[in-house]
Amino acid sequence: MQVQNINSKSLYYPPGGILLWIIIFLELITFGVALIAMVISSKENPTVFHESRLLLNTAFGTINTVFLITSGFFMAVSVNYLKQKNTKKSLLFLRFTMLGGLLFLILKSIEYSDKIDAGLTIGYNTFFTFYWMLTLFHVIHVIVGLVILGSVYIGLKNKKSTTSIEDVEASAAFWHMCDLIWLLLFPIIYLLF
Amino acid sequence: MNKHITLVWILLVLLTVSVGIISSLSLDIAVISILLLSSLKFIGVTFYFMELKKAHVFWKVSILIYLSFFSIITYSFL
Repeated sequence: MQVQNINSKSLYYPPGGILLWIIIFLELITFGVALIAMVISSKENPTVFHESRLLLNTAFGTINTVFLITSGFFMAVSVNYLKQKNTKKSLLFLRFTMLGGLLFLILKSIEYSDKIDAGLTIGYNTFFTFYWMLTLFHVIHVIVGLVILGSVYIGLKNKKSTTSIEDVEASAAFWHMCDLIWLLLFPIIYLLF
Repeated sequence: MNKHITLVWILLVLLTVSVGIISSLSLDIAVISILLLSSLKFIGVTFYFMELKKAHVFWKVSILIYLSFFSIITYSFL
């Protein structure tokens, strides 16, 4: 693995790289605007939004938040071990990170299955249109994140690997972005209406 | 370093559970409390897990401006 000294204090080298931070801001703005549109839509029919919100399982949402936060924590620990050139421990925590992501997807699948069985599909009402579009878009990000982490894991395991610490930091930043998006979605969709 | 991150993780989990409990109570301050605690979680992830704490001030201020705008606009429409 290639290890370089990166000056994170530089404007052009935030942790994870400037290009990824541009993507992070674009994603946060996209989800932010969609959530604000959802909140504005709720003004037209607050009763429907409140009653629909009560049909969601808050416990599932809370447990999924804990899964993603814990997964993000393992990712941060993995990056730290890699900086200390302890690849073995870094790989172990990278496995824990991916496990957290998988547990999130499993619980989300159970939640989606319950909603579909109850007939609460994307066309049920405005609340569920936003619910499905926003959470599914987020799930796609989590799946892409897991694929990226999987490729980093394979790269780090390979002894002749050219995977650099910058690659790992960029992958970690993408994974944390999934966490950040969920931290915006969870309170508004599951708790506030 | 890992000890520091572990403390942040424990705090984030506690905040998540607190937000869940607050939402189940019919409090007048529930909306503002949930938004404030969720903002704290957002800051915890960006500054400690993503190491934005070590980054240039531009990135720190940018994320705080985004979070402030998002929280204020959301609160004003709720």
